[in-house]
Order: sequence, then structure tokens, then C-alpha cells
Amino acid sequence: MKQMTLSRPSLPELESKSRWLALLMLAIGLHVFEASLPSLGPWFKPGLANLVTLLALVLMGQRAAVSLAIGRVIVGSFFIGTLFTPTFMISMAGGLTAALVMIAAWRWIPAISLIGVSLLGALAHMLAQFVTVEFLFIQQAALYYALPPLLVLSCISGWINGALAGYIAGHLDNKKDSHEKI
Amino acid sequence: MFEFLKGTWTDRVLLLVSLVAIVAGWIMIQAYVSSGPPMAEIYHADTLVATYRLPQKGEPPIHLQVEGELGMSEIVINEQGARIASSPCASQRCVLSGPHRHAGDMVACVPNRILIALRGHAESGFDAIVE
Repeated sequence: MKQMTLSRPSLPELESKSRWLALLMLAIGLHVFEASLPSLGPWFKPGLANLVTLLALVLMGQRAAVSLAIGRVIVGSFFIGTLFTPTFMISMAGGLTAALVMIAAWRWIPAISLIGVSLLGALAHMLAQFVTVEFLFIQQAALYYALPPLLVLSCISGWINGALAGYIAGHLDNKKDSHEKI
Repeated sequence: MFEFLKGTWTDRVLLLVSLVAIVAGWIMIQAYVSSGPPMAEIYHADTLVATYRLPQKGEPPIHLQVEGELGMSEIVINEQGARIASSPCASQRCVLSGPHRHAGDMVACVPNRILIALRGHAESGFDAIVE
């Protein structure tokens, strides 16, 4: 009789998965935290959860970033009770579009830093939310009256989040280097 | 100290281009919404339900109920602006956002698919304020 054997995952594979899960948990925590903040305007959030997507992109690659953006919206919605509601659909469209735009910017725009990537991600996030609302819920161009001031706020939050992501990614890289030396 | 906030030249060019595009769009929208008398437009999904002139000081407020996706939303339009007074949605963010009175402002209840958009030029001379 043939004996079945389970292959044991390699250590780097386990390390990569655990790192992705840690980032996912951080993103979910920030997603829930942002949902509990008082409203800073219609559909405006500081974008802290997007910062984690950006970290996943630079530390682990584009597949990790997209799966993290999807995962944090789904699991985060469980916690705040908005699964499959309009809020969920708006968050999913915003998060996914931001992740895809950040991937494209990171790959194809020369000499861009995480600040520029985050800036474009924040703008894409806001635009995608409005387009989703217009496409699925309120089919009125009057919705866009409120868009310009929110885009200005997105520029500010995107710039700050990008700077924070660069700072954190730099520190994580230094830590990794020092661990490897040990 | 804030060296990490600087960004590269590419980042700064992207920021400048974005801000120029946003401000140009903002000016165009304001030029469009600031024309005509101060009005509140009430929409449900793809339908314009009603348009009301904003009451001036001393004029009685307007109360109306609009049937949305989840139920009735109560809308109040008075001299302070237009607001959603009650809504069947769970978050109540539309109610909490209070009255709006500037041209270009909007109050949306996405779950109930209700939108109030404000437009019009103030008679008092303030360009973008509906008063």
C-alpha cells in the first residue's frame, strides 16, 4: 500500500505567509479603527489601511498587495457589520482600484517614491468611490459637486501616508538586514 | 526633521499636476453650480424628485418625505440650509452631517439612494454661499 506523505512547507514560505498575515491583521485593525472615527466628510477616511497595502506592495509584491486589499475589506466588514452593504461595495471598489493604480505607478513611473505611489493611490481610491456610487446607487452627476475638496484632502493624506510607508519600509528593511547578519 | 516628507521630483510633479487638475475642475464646477437662484435639488437614484428654492430669513421651512430604497427619508429645507432629518439607514451619517447651504454642497444617503445637491448664487453677494 502506498503511503501518503505531506510535504512540509519551507521556512521562507512560512515566513512570507506569516508576514502577509501580520500585515493583513494590521490592515483589518486600521480598517475597523477608521470606520469608528467620526466622519471627516462624506466618504473621506485618512487611508491608513491603504498604507498597509502599500507596504505589502513594496515588501512582498503585487499579488500580496491585491490579496491584502481584498482580504482586509472582506474581513474588516465582518467586524463592522457592513458585509455586502453599499459601504462594503464602495470600500471594495476604492481599495482594489487604489491597489491596482499603486502597482501600475510603482512598476511604470520612473523615479517615483512611495509618496507619489500613495498620492496616486489615494486619488484613485476617492475617484473609484464616487464612480461606484454613481454607477450602482445614485445616478446623478450632482454627486461630483463634492469631489474636488475631497480630492485635495486625498492629496494631503496620500502624501503623508506615503511618507510614513517609506519610513516604516526603511526601518523594516534595516531590521531584516540586521537579523540576517546575526 | 521632516526630511522623510520631501518626496522625489517625480512625486512633486505628480502633486502639482493633480492639484492643478483638481483646482481647474473645482472652478468649473463652482461656475456651473453658482449660477441661478439658490436651490436644493432632491434626487432618488436616477430621478430628480423635487427642486426647492431655499427659504429666505423669515420664510417658513419646507418639510418633505422622499421614498428611498429602504424607506422614507425626511428632508427639511430652511434658512440654515437643507438637511436629512431622519433616514432608515443604519449608519445615520447623512442625518449627522447636518444642514448644508453652500453652492456645490451635497448630502447623500447612499443606502437609501437619496441625494440633496445645493446650487445657486447668493443674493447677498457671497459668490459660493447659498443664503
